[in-house]
Amino acid sequence: MSSPFDQVLIQSDVEQLEQADLSLLETLDHVLNRGLVIAGEITISVADIDLIFLGLNVLLSSVETANEVIKKRG
Amino acid sequence: MSDLAYYVYCIVESAATAELPGDSLPPAIEHGATLEWVATQDLAALTSQVSLVSYSEESLNHHLSDPSWIAERAMRHETIAEFVAKRVAVVPLRFGTIFLERAGIEQMLSDKREELRAILERVRGREEWAVNVICDQSMLMSSITSVSPVLRDLTERAAQASPGQSYLIQKKIDALRVDEARDALNRIIDEVEQTLAAKSDDAKRLRMLKVETTEYGEMKAKFAFLVKKSEFDQFSDAAERLAREHQSAGVGLEFGGPWPAYNFTGLKKDEFSV
Repeated sequence: MSSPFDQVLIQSDVEQLEQADLSLLETLDHVLNRGLVIAGEITISVADIDLIFLGLNVLLSSVETANEVIKKRG
Repeated sequence: MSDLAYYVYCIVESAATAELPGDSLPPAIEHGATLEWVATQDLAALTSQVSLVSYSEESLNHHLSDPSWIAERAMRHETIAEFVAKRVAVVPLRFGTIFLERAGIEQMLSDKREELRAILERVRGREEWAVNVICDQSMLMSSITSVSPVLRDLTERAAQASPGQSYLIQKKIDALRVDEARDALNRIIDEVEQTLAAKSDDAKRLRMLKVETTEYGEMKAKFAFLVKKSEFDQFSDAAERLAREHQSAGVGLEFGGPWPAYNFTGLKKDEFSV
């Protein structure tokens, strides 16, 4: 069974970040919710960011669970 | 009109770009694109070109419903901001800042020159550290019973009372324990904030979008501190002391960092005053 997150997990830059022992969720929280907001010509509204983040949160929790299951089997 | 736009990652002083040539930097947000500095006299924005097929308002909105699309790109954004922050003072921008023309970035750099320079001064030589307060509720509850005189007294009375009375006293004990545990936790959270704020240049309590559970318990508060690199040892000593002190009450501290100063890119309260 494949989840949309499989594509992300096989990305080498994600692996690098994991090796650097960064929490994926913390990273997303910083990049999506914080940082200086400059009104470029195209920007994502704050309301949208909350929705994306909640979606990611749910997705990541399920990935964590899946990883634990895989570890136990392995 | 070109079908390309500019994605902007972060802003530094123009002079600092000499230490960060484009070909030394991590990969851009989209494969195949190269990172490029767009500079004015004293400020420079780190950018790469993106296709409007993916980054137009309409496509971006469409991609927003695809968490894997966002996650992958948010990671690249962070890798770049972190790489730059390790070397020079930087203003990290939030994900998804896009300009249609190079001239638009130059205009922004000159329009916001004062504000950007103020942020660069504030974050120079400093890093952001995250501190999360985690609580093991059952450990906290049992530590409360052992330290609260009211609860100890009630527990003794319940032991000697008739079954009916004992049941009622037990109900009261349960309600009191919940209240006292909450108060105790809030006192610890305040202490963490005040102690670490005193060891840093700025502190922010961050909102939590949902209850986050970690392997050590539930996250109860989330802070970001702006710490001078040269004073990190004092900060981390204080944090470790707090962690040891409250361990037996089931309250733990989780540290993360160093981050680019994402949470300190707004103006400080006192800088708003005229």
